Amino acid sequence: MTRIRRVTAALLVAGVLGVAAPAAASALTTITISGATASYPLVTLLAAKYNKVHPHKVKFRITQGGAQIGINDVAAGRVSIGDVSRDPLSTDPAGLVFYPVARYGICVITNKANPVTSLTTAQAIAIFTGKTRSWAGIPGASQTGTIDLVSRTSVAGVLTNFQTILLEGKKVSSLAAEEPSEGLMRQQVENDPAAIGFVSNYQSDKNTVHAVGLNGTACNRATVTNGSYTGTARFYEVTKGKATGAASAFIGWIEKSAAAKKIISTQWVPIS
Amino acid sequence: MLERLRAPWSDRRAELTLGAVSLLVGVAVVAMIAFVAVQAWPTLRHNGLSFFGSGGDLKEQFETMQNAGPHPPASAYHFRAWPLIWGTLIVTAPAVLLGIVVAVLSSIFIVELAPVRLRRVVIPVVRLLASVPSVIYGLVGILVVVPFVLEHVISDSDKVALQDTVLLNGTGVGVTIVILTIMITPIMIALICEALLAVPNSWREGAIALGCNPVRAMLAVTVRAARPAIVAAAVLATARALGEAIMVSMVGGATNFAPRISDGLTFFLEPFRSVAAAIVDYHEGIGAPALKSALYTLALLLLFSAFVLSVGGYLIKLPMRKYQVRG
Repeated sequence: MTRIRRVTAALLVAGVLGVAAPAAASALTTITISGATASYPLVTLLAAKYNKVHPHKVKFRITQGGAQIGINDVAAGRVSIGDVSRDPLSTDPAGLVFYPVARYGICVITNKANPVTSLTTAQAIAIFTGKTRSWAGIPGASQTGTIDLVSRTSVAGVLTNFQTILLEGKKVSSLAAEEPSEGLMRQQVENDPAAIGFVSNYQSDKNTVHAVGLNGTACNRATVTNGSYTGTARFYEVTKGKATGAASAFIGWIEKSAAAKKIISTQWVPIS
Repeated sequence: MLERLRAPWSDRRAELTLGAVSLLVGVAVVAMIAFVAVQAWPTLRHNGLSFFGSGGDLKEQFETMQNAGPHPPASAYHFRAWPLIWGTLIVTAPAVLLGIVVAVLSSIFIVELAPVRLRRVVIPVVRLLASVPSVIYGLVGILVVVPFVLEHVISDSDKVALQDTVLLNGTGVGVTIVILTIMITPIMIALICEALLAVPNSWREGAIALGCNPVRAMLAVTVRAARPAIVAAAVLATARALGEAIMVSMVGGATNFAPRISDGLTFFLEPFRSVAAAIVDYHEGIGAPALKSALYTLALLLLFSAFVLSVGGYLIKLPMRKYQVRG
Protein backbone atom coordinates (compact mmCIF):
# COMPACT_ATOMS: atom_id res chain seq x y z
CA MET A 1 0.00 0.00 0.00
CA THR A 2 2.76 2.44 0.98
CA ARG A 3 4.61 1.60 -2.21
CA ILE A 4 1.62 2.39 -4.36
CA ARG A 5 1.18 5.69 -2.56
CA ARG A 6 4.85 6.56 -3.04
CA VAL A 7 4.67 5.72 -6.74
CA THR A 8 1.58 7.87 -7.13
CA ALA A 9 3.31 10.76 -5.39
CA ALA A 10 6.36 10.42 -7.63
CA LEU A 11 4.17 10.38 -10.74
CA LEU A 12 2.34 13.47 -9.56
CA VAL A 13 5.57 15.38 -8.93
CA ALA A 14 6.90 14.36 -12.34
CA GLY A 15 3.64 15.41 -13.95
CA VAL A 16 3.63 18.83 -12.30
CA LEU A 17 7.27 19.43 -13.30
CA GLY A 18 6.53 18.28 -16.84
CA VAL A 19 3.71 20.76 -17.22
CA ALA A 20 5.32 23.64 -15.33
CA ALA A 21 8.71 23.65 -17.08
CA PRO A 22 7.44 24.28 -20.64
CA ALA A 23 4.90 26.76 -19.29
CA ALA A 24 7.67 28.85 -17.72
CA ALA A 25 9.67 28.73 -20.95
CA SER A 26 6.76 29.78 -23.16
CA ALA A 27 6.33 33.08 -21.32
CA LEU A 28 8.51 34.35 -24.20
CA THR A 29 7.02 33.87 -27.64
CA THR A 30 9.42 32.04 -29.94
CA ILE A 31 9.77 33.10 -33.56
CA THR A 32 11.20 30.24 -35.60
CA ILE A 33 12.89 31.10 -38.89
CA SER A 34 14.52 28.90 -41.52
CA GLY A 35 15.63 29.31 -45.11
CA ALA A 36 18.14 30.96 -47.42
CA THR A 37 21.83 30.80 -46.56
CA ALA A 38 22.34 34.10 -48.41
CA SER A 39 20.10 36.14 -46.12
CA TYR A 40 20.99 34.27 -42.91
CA PRO A 41 23.67 36.80 -41.81
CA LEU A 42 21.22 39.68 -42.26
CA VAL A 43 18.38 37.98 -40.40
CA THR A 44 20.56 37.05 -37.40
CA LEU A 45 21.78 40.67 -37.14
CA LEU A 46 18.20 41.95 -37.32
CA ALA A 47 16.98 39.46 -34.71
CA ALA A 48 19.76 40.39 -32.28
CA LYS A 49 18.93 44.09 -32.66
CA TYR A 50 15.20 43.41 -32.26
CA ASN A 51 15.90 41.61 -28.99
CA LYS A 52 17.91 44.57 -27.78
CA VAL A 53 15.25 47.13 -28.68
CA HIS A 54 12.35 45.04 -27.35
CA PRO A 55 13.88 43.07 -24.47
CA HIS A 56 12.07 40.05 -22.98
CA LYS A 57 9.48 40.01 -25.71
CA VAL A 58 10.41 37.28 -28.14
CA LYS A 59 12.99 34.55 -28.60
CA PHE A 60 14.42 33.68 -32.00
CA ARG A 61 15.39 30.29 -33.32
CA ILE A 62 17.01 30.78 -36.73
CA THR A 63 18.38 28.04 -38.99
CA GLN A 64 19.65 28.11 -42.55
CA GLY A 65 19.50 25.52 -45.29
CA GLY A 66 18.42 27.21 -48.49
CA ALA A 67 15.58 29.25 -49.94
CA GLN A 68 13.62 26.16 -50.90
CA ILE A 69 13.85 24.80 -47.36
CA GLY A 70 12.44 28.10 -46.08
CA ILE A 71 9.50 27.79 -48.49
CA ASN A 72 8.85 24.16 -47.56
CA ASP A 73 9.11 24.75 -43.81
CA VAL A 74 6.83 27.76 -43.70
CA ALA A 75 4.27 26.14 -46.01
CA ALA A 76 4.18 23.07 -43.76
CA GLY A 77 3.85 25.24 -40.65
CA ARG A 78 7.16 24.05 -39.18
CA VAL A 79 8.44 27.64 -38.78
CA SER A 80 6.77 31.02 -38.32
CA ILE A 81 8.89 32.76 -41.00
CA GLY A 82 10.74 31.46 -44.06
CA ASP A 83 13.76 33.31 -45.49
CA VAL A 84 13.76 33.39 -49.27
CA SER A 85 16.42 34.86 -51.55
CA ARG A 86 14.47 34.79 -54.82
CA ASP A 87 11.24 36.17 -56.22
CA PRO A 88 8.03 34.13 -55.82
CA LEU A 89 7.69 31.32 -58.38
CA SER A 90 4.55 29.82 -59.88
CA THR A 91 5.60 26.44 -58.43
CA ASP A 92 5.59 27.73 -54.85
CA PRO A 93 2.81 26.37 -52.63
CA ALA A 94 -0.32 28.55 -52.60
CA GLY A 95 -1.17 30.85 -49.68
CA LEU A 96 2.32 32.17 -48.92
CA VAL A 97 2.79 35.90 -48.40
CA PHE A 98 6.15 37.40 -49.43
CA TYR A 99 7.40 40.48 -47.55
CA PRO A 100 10.45 42.07 -49.24
CA VAL A 101 12.98 43.13 -46.59
CA ALA A 102 16.18 44.06 -48.43
CA ARG A 103 17.77 44.30 -51.85
CA TYR A 104 21.10 42.81 -52.82
CA GLY A 105 23.24 42.85 -55.94
CA ILE A 106 24.18 39.65 -57.73
CA CYS A 107 27.76 40.23 -58.85
CA VAL A 108 29.54 38.25 -61.52
CA ILE A 109 32.93 37.37 -60.04
CA THR A 110 36.30 36.42 -61.49
CA ASN A 111 39.72 35.59 -60.04
CA LYS A 112 41.79 38.51 -58.71
CA ALA A 113 44.36 37.71 -61.41
CA ASN A 114 41.78 38.28 -64.13
CA PRO A 115 40.10 41.61 -63.29
CA VAL A 116 37.60 41.99 -66.12
CA THR A 117 36.12 45.48 -65.70
CA SER A 118 32.73 44.96 -67.23
CA LEU A 119 30.67 42.63 -69.40
CA THR A 120 27.66 43.47 -71.51
CA THR A 121 24.52 41.42 -70.94
CA ALA A 122 25.11 39.76 -74.33
CA GLN A 123 28.66 38.80 -73.34
CA ALA A 124 27.51 37.47 -69.96
CA ILE A 125 24.84 35.36 -71.67
CA ALA A 126 27.34 34.03 -74.23
CA ILE A 127 29.83 33.11 -71.50
CA PHE A 128 27.42 31.49 -69.07
CA THR A 129 25.45 29.57 -71.68
CA GLY A 130 28.71 28.11 -73.02
CA LYS A 131 28.74 29.85 -76.44
CA THR A 132 31.93 31.78 -75.72
CA ARG A 133 34.48 29.31 -74.45
CA SER A 134 37.66 31.39 -74.43
CA TRP A 135 38.80 34.47 -72.53
CA ALA A 136 40.70 35.59 -75.66
CA GLY A 137 37.74 37.50 -77.12
CA ILE A 138 36.68 39.19 -73.89
CA PRO A 139 37.88 42.82 -73.58
CA GLY A 140 39.74 43.48 -70.33
CA ALA A 141 40.54 39.83 -69.58
CA SER A 142 44.15 39.09 -68.73
CA GLN A 143 43.53 35.37 -69.26
CA THR A 144 43.58 33.89 -72.76
CA GLY A 145 42.65 30.24 -72.16
CA THR A 146 39.40 28.41 -71.63
CA ILE A 147 36.70 29.97 -69.47
CA ASP A 148 35.95 27.82 -66.39
CA LEU A 149 32.27 28.23 -65.55
CA VAL A 150 31.23 27.92 -61.93
CA SER A 151 27.54 27.77 -61.07
CA ARG A 152 25.29 26.59 -58.25
CA THR A 153 23.12 23.49 -57.96
CA SER A 154 19.75 24.00 -59.63
CA VAL A 155 18.02 24.21 -56.24
CA ALA A 156 19.83 27.41 -55.20
CA GLY A 157 17.66 30.55 -55.05
CA VAL A 158 20.52 32.77 -56.19
CA LEU A 159 20.95 30.71 -59.39
CA THR A 160 17.26 31.19 -60.20
CA ASN A 161 17.68 34.95 -59.71
CA PHE A 162 20.92 35.07 -61.67
CA GLN A 163 19.29 33.37 -64.66
CA THR A 164 16.15 35.51 -64.68
CA ILE A 165 17.74 38.86 -63.90
CA LEU A 166 21.21 38.81 -65.47
CA LEU A 167 20.85 36.17 -68.20
CA GLU A 168 17.37 37.20 -69.38
CA GLY A 169 15.99 33.78 -68.53
CA LYS A 170 18.70 31.76 -70.32
CA LYS A 171 20.05 28.67 -68.54
CA VAL A 172 23.66 28.33 -67.36
CA SER A 173 25.45 25.70 -69.47
CA SER A 174 25.66 22.16 -68.11
CA LEU A 175 29.43 22.41 -68.53
CA ALA A 176 29.56 24.50 -65.36
CA ALA A 177 30.64 23.05 -62.03
CA GLU A 178 27.58 23.14 -59.75
CA GLU A 179 28.76 24.18 -56.31
CA PRO A 180 26.39 23.32 -53.46
CA SER A 181 27.08 26.54 -51.53
CA GLU A 182 28.15 30.12 -52.07
CA GLY A 183 31.32 29.54 -50.04
CA LEU A 184 32.48 26.73 -52.32
CA MET A 185 31.63 28.83 -55.37
CA ARG A 186 33.84 31.65 -54.10
CA GLN A 187 36.62 29.21 -53.18
CA GLN A 188 36.62 27.70 -56.66
CA VAL A 189 36.82 31.14 -58.30
CA GLU A 190 39.61 32.10 -55.89
CA ASN A 191 41.52 28.91 -56.80
CA ASP A 192 41.23 29.19 -60.55
CA PRO A 193 42.50 32.21 -62.57
CA ALA A 194 40.27 31.22 -65.50
CA ALA A 195 37.07 30.89 -63.49
CA ILE A 196 33.90 32.97 -63.60
CA GLY A 197 30.96 32.70 -61.21
CA PHE A 198 28.41 34.79 -59.33
CA VAL A 199 27.64 35.59 -55.69
CA SER A 200 24.87 37.33 -53.77
CA ASN A 201 27.05 38.93 -51.11
CA TYR A 202 30.09 40.47 -52.75
CA GLN A 203 30.62 42.84 -49.81
CA SER A 204 32.02 40.02 -47.69
CA ASP A 205 34.02 38.51 -50.56
CA LYS A 206 35.77 41.50 -52.00
CA ASN A 207 39.17 40.62 -50.59
CA THR A 208 39.26 37.23 -52.27
CA VAL A 209 37.60 37.66 -55.67
CA HIS A 210 37.03 40.41 -58.27
CA ALA A 211 33.55 41.75 -59.05
CA VAL A 212 32.78 42.32 -62.73
CA GLY A 213 30.57 45.22 -63.76
CA LEU A 214 27.49 44.82 -65.92
CA ASN A 215 26.96 46.98 -69.04
CA GLY A 216 29.56 49.46 -67.81
CA THR A 217 28.26 49.79 -64.24
CA ALA A 218 30.41 48.40 -61.45
CA CYS A 219 28.80 46.01 -58.98
CA ASN A 220 29.07 47.45 -55.48
CA ARG A 221 26.80 48.71 -52.74
CA ALA A 222 26.69 52.29 -54.07
CA THR A 223 25.48 51.26 -57.52
CA VAL A 224 23.00 48.78 -56.08
CA THR A 225 21.65 51.49 -53.74
CA ASN A 226 21.19 54.16 -56.39
CA GLY A 227 19.64 51.64 -58.76
CA SER A 228 22.18 52.05 -61.59
CA TYR A 229 23.29 48.41 -61.27
CA THR A 230 20.53 46.33 -62.79
CA GLY A 231 21.46 42.90 -61.43
CA THR A 232 19.65 43.30 -58.13
CA ALA A 233 17.27 40.95 -56.37
CA ARG A 234 15.34 40.93 -53.11
CA PHE A 235 15.35 39.01 -49.86
CA TYR A 236 11.90 38.09 -48.59
CA GLU A 237 10.45 37.07 -45.26
CA VAL A 238 7.65 34.63 -46.07
CA THR A 239 4.69 33.66 -43.91
CA LYS A 240 1.80 31.27 -44.41
CA GLY A 241 -1.12 33.60 -44.93
CA LYS A 242 -0.76 37.17 -43.66
CA ALA A 243 1.77 37.53 -40.85
CA THR A 244 0.18 37.59 -37.39
CA GLY A 245 1.28 38.18 -33.80
CA ALA A 246 4.98 38.24 -33.02
CA ALA A 247 6.03 37.45 -36.58
CA SER A 248 3.98 40.37 -37.89
CA ALA A 249 5.50 42.71 -35.28
CA PHE A 250 9.04 41.62 -36.25
CA ILE A 251 8.45 42.01 -40.00
CA GLY A 252 6.77 45.37 -39.43
CA TRP A 253 9.80 46.48 -37.39
CA ILE A 254 12.17 45.43 -40.22
CA GLU A 255 10.08 47.35 -42.75
CA LYS A 256 9.67 50.57 -40.77
CA SER A 257 12.26 51.16 -38.05
CA ALA A 258 15.40 53.23 -38.58
CA ALA A 259 17.48 50.76 -36.57
CA ALA A 260 16.67 47.93 -38.97
CA LYS A 261 17.38 50.17 -41.96
CA LYS A 262 20.78 50.96 -40.51
CA ILE A 263 21.67 47.28 -40.17
CA ILE A 264 20.47 46.49 -43.69
CA SER A 265 22.58 49.35 -45.04
CA THR A 266 25.81 47.84 -43.70
CA GLN A 267 26.06 45.19 -46.43
CA TRP A 268 22.74 45.24 -48.26
CA VAL A 269 20.26 47.85 -49.42
CA PRO A 270 16.92 48.72 -47.76
CA ILE A 271 13.77 48.44 -49.86
CA SER A 272 13.15 51.88 -51.52
CA MET B 1 10.37 0.39 -5.70
CA LEU B 2 13.85 1.90 -5.55
CA GLU B 3 15.18 -1.01 -3.52
CA ARG B 4 13.94 -3.38 -6.17
CA LEU B 5 15.72 -1.44 -8.92
CA ARG B 6 18.94 -1.43 -6.88
CA ALA B 7 18.85 -5.17 -6.27
CA PRO B 8 20.97 -7.32 -8.63
CA TRP B 9 19.06 -8.23 -11.75
CA SER B 10 17.93 -11.77 -12.20
CA ASP B 11 19.34 -13.48 -15.30
CA ARG B 12 15.91 -13.67 -16.80
CA ARG B 13 15.27 -9.96 -16.43
CA ALA B 14 18.66 -9.01 -17.87
CA GLU B 15 18.08 -11.37 -20.77
CA LEU B 16 14.69 -9.86 -21.53
CA THR B 17 15.99 -6.29 -21.38
CA LEU B 18 19.01 -6.94 -23.57
CA GLY B 19 16.87 -8.94 -25.98
CA ALA B 20 14.42 -6.06 -26.26
CA VAL B 21 17.21 -3.58 -26.95
CA SER B 22 18.78 -5.67 -29.71
CA LEU B 23 15.37 -6.35 -31.19
CA LEU B 24 14.82 -2.59 -31.26
CA VAL B 25 17.96 -2.15 -33.39
CA GLY B 26 16.64 -4.75 -35.82
CA VAL B 27 13.25 -3.06 -35.97
CA ALA B 28 14.89 0.34 -36.57
CA VAL B 29 16.93 -1.04 -39.49
CA VAL B 30 13.92 -2.69 -41.09
CA ALA B 31 11.80 0.43 -40.58
CA MET B 32 14.49 2.60 -42.15
CA ILE B 33 14.82 0.40 -45.22
CA ALA B 34 11.04 0.26 -45.57
CA PHE B 35 10.75 4.05 -45.26
CA VAL B 36 13.45 4.73 -47.88
CA ALA B 37 11.91 2.14 -50.22
CA VAL B 38 8.45 3.68 -49.92
CA GLN B 39 9.83 7.17 -50.65
CA ALA B 40 11.81 5.82 -53.61
CA TRP B 41 8.91 3.94 -55.14
CA PRO B 42 7.51 6.68 -57.49
CA THR B 43 10.89 7.12 -59.21
CA LEU B 44 11.48 3.37 -59.42
CA ARG B 45 8.02 2.79 -60.85
CA HIS B 46 8.40 5.43 -63.56
CA ASN B 47 11.93 4.49 -64.59
CA GLY B 48 12.16 0.79 -63.85
CA LEU B 49 15.59 -0.67 -64.34
CA SER B 50 16.54 2.04 -66.83
CA PHE B 51 17.02 4.19 -63.72
CA PHE B 52 20.51 2.70 -63.68
CA GLY B 53 21.07 3.47 -67.36
CA SER B 54 22.41 6.57 -69.04
CA GLY B 55 20.79 9.03 -71.39
CA GLY B 56 20.00 12.71 -71.64
CA ASP B 57 21.39 15.59 -69.64
CA LEU B 58 21.26 14.81 -65.93
CA LYS B 59 21.31 18.51 -65.06
CA GLU B 60 18.12 19.08 -67.06
CA GLN B 61 16.52 16.06 -65.40
CA PHE B 62 17.31 17.49 -61.97
CA GLU B 63 15.87 20.86 -63.03
CA THR B 64 12.69 19.30 -64.41
CA MET B 65 12.16 17.39 -61.18
CA GLN B 66 12.83 20.53 -59.15
CA ASN B 67 10.40 22.70 -61.13
CA ALA B 68 7.61 20.16 -61.49
CA GLY B 69 5.74 21.56 -58.50
CA PRO B 70 3.74 19.75 -55.83
CA HIS B 71 1.92 17.40 -58.23
CA PRO B 72 4.53 16.31 -60.78
CA PRO B 73 3.34 14.63 -63.99
CA ALA B 74 4.74 11.16 -64.70
CA SER B 75 7.22 12.58 -67.21
CA ALA B 76 8.90 14.67 -64.49
CA TYR B 77 10.15 11.52 -62.77
CA HIS B 78 12.42 10.70 -65.74
CA PHE B 79 15.87 10.07 -64.28
CA ARG B 80 18.96 8.23 -65.56
CA ALA B 81 21.49 7.84 -62.75
CA TRP B 82 24.36 6.19 -64.62
CA PRO B 83 26.76 9.19 -64.53
CA LEU B 84 26.42 9.23 -60.72
CA ILE B 85 26.85 5.46 -60.38
CA TRP B 86 29.81 5.50 -62.74
CA GLY B 87 31.33 8.41 -60.82
CA THR B 88 31.03 6.43 -57.59
CA LEU B 89 32.62 3.31 -59.08
CA ILE B 90 35.61 5.01 -60.69
CA VAL B 91 36.76 6.59 -57.44
CA THR B 92 35.82 3.81 -55.00
CA ALA B 93 37.46 0.89 -56.80
CA PRO B 94 40.92 2.45 -57.31
CA ALA B 95 40.92 3.97 -53.83
CA VAL B 96 40.09 0.65 -52.17
CA LEU B 97 42.60 -1.32 -54.27
CA LEU B 98 45.34 1.21 -53.63
CA GLY B 99 44.40 1.44 -49.96
CA ILE B 100 44.38 -2.32 -49.35
CA VAL B 101 47.88 -2.74 -50.80
CA VAL B 102 49.28 0.14 -48.77
CA ALA B 103 47.43 -1.00 -45.64
CA VAL B 104 48.61 -4.64 -45.82
CA LEU B 105 52.22 -3.67 -46.46
CA SER B 106 52.36 -1.02 -43.76
CA SER B 107 50.59 -3.28 -41.24
CA ILE B 108 53.20 -5.98 -41.89
CA PHE B 109 55.90 -3.41 -41.31
CA ILE B 110 54.32 -2.04 -38.14
CA VAL B 111 53.67 -5.44 -36.56
CA GLU B 112 56.50 -7.62 -37.84
CA LEU B 113 59.45 -5.38 -38.61
CA ALA B 114 59.20 -2.08 -36.73
CA PRO B 115 60.89 -1.75 -33.34
CA VAL B 116 58.43 -1.98 -30.47
CA ARG B 117 58.94 1.66 -29.50
CA LEU B 118 58.02 2.84 -32.99
CA ARG B 119 55.01 0.54 -33.02
CA ARG B 120 53.76 2.05 -29.75
CA VAL B 121 53.75 5.47 -31.39
CA VAL B 122 52.49 4.56 -34.85
CA ILE B 123 49.42 2.55 -33.88
CA PRO B 124 47.75 5.36 -31.84
CA VAL B 125 48.59 7.85 -34.59
CA VAL B 126 46.95 5.62 -37.20
CA ARG B 127 43.87 5.28 -34.98
CA LEU B 128 43.73 9.05 -34.64
CA LEU B 129 43.95 9.48 -38.42
CA ALA B 130 41.14 6.97 -38.86
CA SER B 131 38.81 9.17 -36.85
CA VAL B 132 39.41 12.48 -38.68
CA PRO B 133 36.03 13.70 -40.01
CA SER B 134 35.81 13.62 -43.79
CA VAL B 135 34.92 17.31 -44.08
CA ILE B 136 38.48 18.09 -42.92
CA TYR B 137 39.85 16.04 -45.80
CA GLY B 138 37.49 17.87 -48.14
CA LEU B 139 38.70 21.22 -46.86
CA VAL B 140 42.36 20.30 -47.30
CA GLY B 141 41.47 19.05 -50.77
CA ILE B 142 39.75 22.23 -51.93
CA LEU B 143 42.26 24.60 -50.30
CA VAL B 144 45.52 22.79 -51.09
CA VAL B 145 45.28 19.91 -53.54
CA VAL B 146 42.85 21.40 -56.07
CA PRO B 147 44.82 24.67 -56.59
CA PHE B 148 48.03 22.62 -56.88
CA VAL B 149 46.58 20.36 -59.58
CA LEU B 150 45.17 23.36 -61.42
CA GLU B 151 48.52 25.11 -61.47
CA HIS B 152 50.96 22.27 -62.01
CA VAL B 153 49.13 19.35 -63.62
CA ILE B 154 46.51 20.73 -65.99
CA SER B 155 47.94 22.28 -69.16
CA ASP B 156 46.18 24.80 -71.36
CA SER B 157 46.12 22.37 -74.26
CA ASP B 158 44.30 19.79 -72.09
CA LYS B 159 41.66 22.37 -71.30
CA VAL B 160 41.24 23.60 -74.85
CA ALA B 161 40.97 20.06 -76.22
CA LEU B 162 37.95 19.34 -74.01
CA GLN B 163 36.49 22.82 -73.68
CA ASP B 164 33.18 22.01 -75.34
CA THR B 165 32.64 18.78 -73.41
CA VAL B 166 33.83 19.31 -69.89
CA LEU B 167 35.69 21.85 -67.77
CA LEU B 168 38.99 20.95 -66.16
CA ASN B 169 39.29 23.16 -63.09
CA GLY B 170 41.49 21.15 -60.75
CA THR B 171 38.72 19.13 -59.15
CA GLY B 172 38.00 15.66 -60.40
CA VAL B 173 38.60 11.92 -60.40
CA GLY B 174 42.34 11.88 -59.59
CA VAL B 175 42.19 14.29 -56.65
CA THR B 176 39.22 12.40 -55.22
CA ILE B 177 40.95 9.02 -55.53
CA VAL B 178 44.03 10.34 -53.73
CA ILE B 179 42.09 11.91 -50.85
CA LEU B 180 39.71 8.96 -50.59
CA THR B 181 42.69 6.60 -50.34
CA ILE B 182 44.25 8.70 -47.60
CA MET B 183 40.89 8.71 -45.83
CA ILE B 184 40.22 4.97 -45.81
CA THR B 185 43.75 3.55 -45.42
CA PRO B 186 44.16 4.32 -41.67
CA ILE B 187 40.99 2.35 -40.82
CA MET B 188 42.31 -0.64 -42.74
CA ILE B 189 45.75 -0.39 -41.14
CA ALA B 190 44.23 -0.25 -37.66
CA LEU B 191 42.09 -3.34 -38.28
CA ILE B 192 44.80 -5.40 -40.00
CA CYS B 193 47.40 -4.51 -37.35
CA GLU B 194 45.08 -5.76 -34.64
CA ALA B 195 44.62 -9.06 -36.46
CA LEU B 196 48.35 -9.52 -37.10
CA LEU B 197 49.07 -8.84 -33.42
CA ALA B 198 46.53 -11.49 -32.46
CA VAL B 199 48.36 -14.26 -34.34
CA PRO B 200 50.02 -16.40 -31.62
CA ASN B 201 53.78 -16.08 -31.60
CA SER B 202 54.13 -19.86 -31.39
CA TRP B 203 52.77 -20.12 -34.95
CA ARG B 204 55.57 -17.95 -36.28
CA GLU B 205 58.15 -19.81 -34.21
CA GLY B 206 56.74 -23.12 -35.44
CA ALA B 207 57.08 -22.05 -39.05
CA ILE B 208 60.65 -20.92 -38.53
CA ALA B 209 61.47 -24.14 -36.67
CA LEU B 210 60.19 -26.06 -39.69
CA GLY B 211 62.74 -24.25 -41.85
CA CYS B 212 60.86 -21.22 -43.25
CA ASN B 213 62.88 -18.03 -43.47
CA PRO B 214 61.27 -15.11 -41.58
CA VAL B 215 59.71 -13.55 -44.68
CA ARG B 216 58.19 -16.85 -45.73
CA ALA B 217 56.88 -17.45 -42.22
CA MET B 218 55.33 -14.00 -42.24
CA LEU B 219 53.55 -14.42 -45.55
CA ALA B 220 52.60 -18.07 -45.22
CA VAL B 221 51.51 -18.06 -41.60
CA THR B 222 50.89 -14.63 -40.09
CA VAL B 223 49.32 -12.83 -43.04
CA ARG B 224 47.45 -15.95 -44.08
CA ALA B 225 45.90 -16.26 -40.64
CA ALA B 226 44.85 -12.61 -40.76
CA ARG B 227 43.11 -12.89 -44.14
CA PRO B 228 39.56 -12.64 -42.77
CA ALA B 229 40.50 -9.39 -41.05
CA ILE B 230 41.94 -8.07 -44.31
CA VAL B 231 38.64 -8.83 -46.03
CA ALA B 232 36.69 -7.24 -43.19
CA ALA B 233 38.89 -4.14 -43.40
CA ALA B 234 38.36 -3.93 -47.16
CA VAL B 235 34.59 -4.22 -46.74
CA LEU B 236 34.51 -1.49 -44.11
CA ALA B 237 36.72 0.79 -46.19
CA THR B 238 34.62 0.21 -49.32
CA ALA B 239 31.48 1.06 -47.38
CA ARG B 240 33.00 4.30 -46.16
CA ALA B 241 34.27 5.20 -49.64
CA LEU B 242 30.91 4.43 -51.30
CA GLY B 243 28.97 6.52 -48.84
CA GLU B 244 31.45 9.40 -48.68
CA ALA B 245 29.41 12.45 -49.57
CA ILE B 246 30.75 15.73 -48.30
CA MET B 247 34.39 15.29 -49.32
CA VAL B 248 33.44 14.09 -52.83
CA SER B 249 30.97 16.95 -53.14
CA MET B 250 33.80 19.39 -52.37
CA VAL B 251 36.65 18.06 -54.51
CA GLY B 252 34.85 15.89 -57.09
CA GLY B 253 33.95 18.82 -59.33
CA ALA B 254 30.17 18.82 -58.85
CA THR B 255 29.14 18.19 -62.44
CA ASN B 256 26.87 15.48 -63.79
CA PHE B 257 29.52 14.49 -66.33
CA ALA B 258 30.52 10.83 -66.70
CA PRO B 259 34.35 10.84 -67.08
CA ARG B 260 35.51 8.93 -70.16
CA ILE B 261 38.34 6.38 -69.92
CA SER B 262 38.91 6.92 -73.65
CA ASP B 263 40.38 10.35 -72.84
CA GLY B 264 43.54 8.66 -71.56
CA LEU B 265 45.31 10.29 -68.63
CA THR B 266 43.00 13.33 -68.81
CA PHE B 267 40.38 10.96 -67.38
CA PHE B 268 41.90 11.58 -63.95
CA LEU B 269 41.39 15.34 -64.31
CA GLU B 270 37.74 15.17 -65.32
CA PRO B 271 35.09 16.29 -62.81
CA PHE B 272 32.20 14.03 -61.79
CA ARG B 273 29.60 13.58 -59.06
CA SER B 274 29.01 10.49 -56.95
CA VAL B 275 25.69 9.06 -55.76
CA ALA B 276 26.22 10.22 -52.17
CA ALA B 277 27.46 13.66 -53.28
CA ALA B 278 24.32 14.11 -55.39
CA ILE B 279 22.19 13.61 -52.28
CA VAL B 280 24.19 16.31 -50.46
CA ASP B 281 24.19 18.72 -53.39
CA TYR B 282 20.46 18.49 -54.12
CA HIS B 283 18.98 17.93 -50.65
CA GLU B 284 17.78 21.52 -50.62
CA GLY B 285 15.23 20.71 -53.31
CA ILE B 286 13.64 17.88 -51.36
CA GLY B 287 10.38 19.84 -51.20
CA ALA B 288 9.75 18.92 -54.84
CA PRO B 289 8.19 15.43 -54.72
CA ALA B 290 9.87 14.18 -57.91
CA LEU B 291 13.33 15.24 -56.77
CA LYS B 292 12.70 13.86 -53.30
CA SER B 293 11.80 10.46 -54.68
CA ALA B 294 14.88 10.44 -56.94
CA LEU B 295 17.17 11.24 -54.00
CA TYR B 296 15.59 8.48 -51.92
CA THR B 297 16.14 6.07 -54.80
CA LEU B 298 19.83 6.99 -54.71
CA ALA B 299 19.78 6.39 -50.95
CA LEU B 300 18.17 3.00 -51.51
CA LEU B 301 20.92 2.19 -53.97
CA LEU B 302 23.55 3.03 -51.32
CA LEU B 303 21.72 0.91 -48.72
CA PHE B 304 21.53 -1.98 -51.16
CA SER B 305 25.23 -1.76 -52.02
CA ALA B 306 26.10 -1.78 -48.31
CA PHE B 307 24.01 -4.93 -47.96
CA VAL B 308 25.71 -6.59 -50.95
CA LEU B 309 29.10 -5.62 -49.52
CA SER B 310 28.54 -7.21 -46.14
CA VAL B 311 27.06 -10.39 -47.63
CA GLY B 312 29.93 -10.51 -50.13
CA GLY B 313 32.49 -10.07 -47.35
CA TYR B 314 30.87 -12.89 -45.40
CA LEU B 315 30.96 -15.24 -48.41
CA ILE B 316 34.62 -14.47 -49.15
CA LYS B 317 35.55 -15.12 -45.54
CA LEU B 318 33.78 -18.51 -45.35
CA PRO B 319 36.59 -20.64 -46.85
CA MET B 320 39.19 -18.77 -44.79
CA ARG B 321 37.56 -19.78 -41.51
CA LYS B 322 39.85 -22.77 -40.99
CA TYR B 323 42.93 -20.89 -39.82
CA GLN B 324 41.47 -17.59 -38.73
CA VAL B 325 42.43 -15.92 -35.51
CA ARG B 326 39.60 -13.40 -35.58
CA GLY B 327 37.34 -11.39 -37.86
